[in-house]
Amino acid sequence: MGADVSAPDPGAHKKGPGVKKQARKDTKVDMTPMVDLGFLLITFFIFTTTMSTPKAFKLNVPDDTAKEEEKNEAKASGAFTVLLSKDNNVFYYEGQLAPDGSNFKSSNFKDIRTEILKKKANTPEKDLVVIIKPNETAVYKNVVDMLDEMQIADIKRYAVVDIFPGEIELINATEGNAPPAGGK
Amino acid sequence: MSKLNKIAKKSTWVDMTAFVDLSFLILTFFMLATKFKPPEVIKIENPNSVSSENQPEKDVLKVSFDKDGKVFISFSPDKEGKEKAQLTAEVLSRQKGLGLTPAEISTFIKFSVGGIGVPVTQLKSFLALNDTEYKSFPQPGIPVSDTLNNQLNDYLNALLTGTGGRKPENVMLNGDNATKYPYFKNVLAAFKKNGIFSFKLITSLEGVPTGTPLYKKQREASK
Repeated sequence: MGADVSAPDPGAHKKGPGVKKQARKDTKVDMTPMVDLGFLLITFFIFTTTMSTPKAFKLNVPDDTAKEEEKNEAKASGAFTVLLSKDNNVFYYEGQLAPDGSNFKSSNFKDIRTEILKKKANTPEKDLVVIIKPNETAVYKNVVDMLDEMQIADIKRYAVVDIFPGEIELINATEGNAPPAGGK
Repeated sequence: MSKLNKIAKKSTWVDMTAFVDLSFLILTFFMLATKFKPPEVIKIENPNSVSSENQPEKDVLKVSFDKDGKVFISFSPDKEGKEKAQLTAEVLSRQKGLGLTPAEISTFIKFSVGGIGVPVTQLKSFLALNDTEYKSFPQPGIPVSDTLNNQLNDYLNALLTGTGGRKPENVMLNGDNATKYPYFKNVLAAFKKNGIFSFKLITSLEGVPTGTPLYKKQREASK
């Protein structure tokens, strides 16, 4: 019949031996080695990659040789002192430390944020200054965490200052421990 | 009988094309996102901060201190960093009478990318090490604990004398979580003594806690 020349035949007629062989050739490729290799490379890149690129946290420190009168201009009422000690202990007091240590309070890294924000709300912006005093047993993480709190609470003025002996005594009394070795 | 045959003949072929597609997609992602870890002689776990500024890479002077308080100094491997490392070595050699040869100075530059943490007096013997020995050499760290013998000060002084007071653009402090505060204080003291008051602390990113002033500020800024 002439029909099978012009139109494709749904009846699956034989078109010839050569054509049939070509159509039936299997195009499937075994991809297993390719997958193996792919995952090997993925594993390699996962292990060598540093996903969280380190960030830079800016810190400016005051010049110690600055004139004495330029320092300590903070009003005592606006001061908020945070003391850092071992085992992530945090202590704080507002304003000046009372001679009997009555306004010396202990806290931790979770609660100190609330205290700082409370102080911030109650103090005129220009008077507010947060003083961070790490003692000998505080670790670097504590200091950076505290500086970070300053960023979080959006505190404009803060300083890292050396701790006073009186404050160390109070910390030791609160922690209930003997002074650190060397009596520093 | 015929039923059993049917089961046995079932093909175990799985079409892996989708699998390959996915695996190469992931592979591409990792290849593009990856940034190789720099070779580190010291292991340091950085604290977290909310700062989202990326760590600069050009003209870096990095001072690292690990959890035992060992202090290391390193320079970035770019042109400015190498130049500063060279100047430091030259001036230090002159000031302390170490008598470093040009070969030792170029070793200093090479080691300074990974970190140098030896007292000034041991510098010459330290620079005689080869690359493999360097990696396994237990560096004692630059002594800083004693205020009179704060040798980081010597290194920094040599650097600033060499550059004629020109400070590195980026002074990075790379501290470990567990470093005791006095070491950090002494490192700062050495910098202050040399008139460097501005630092960048290397930290890992953490999210800004919701509801805090910084969070509100950032939301307002993005509106």
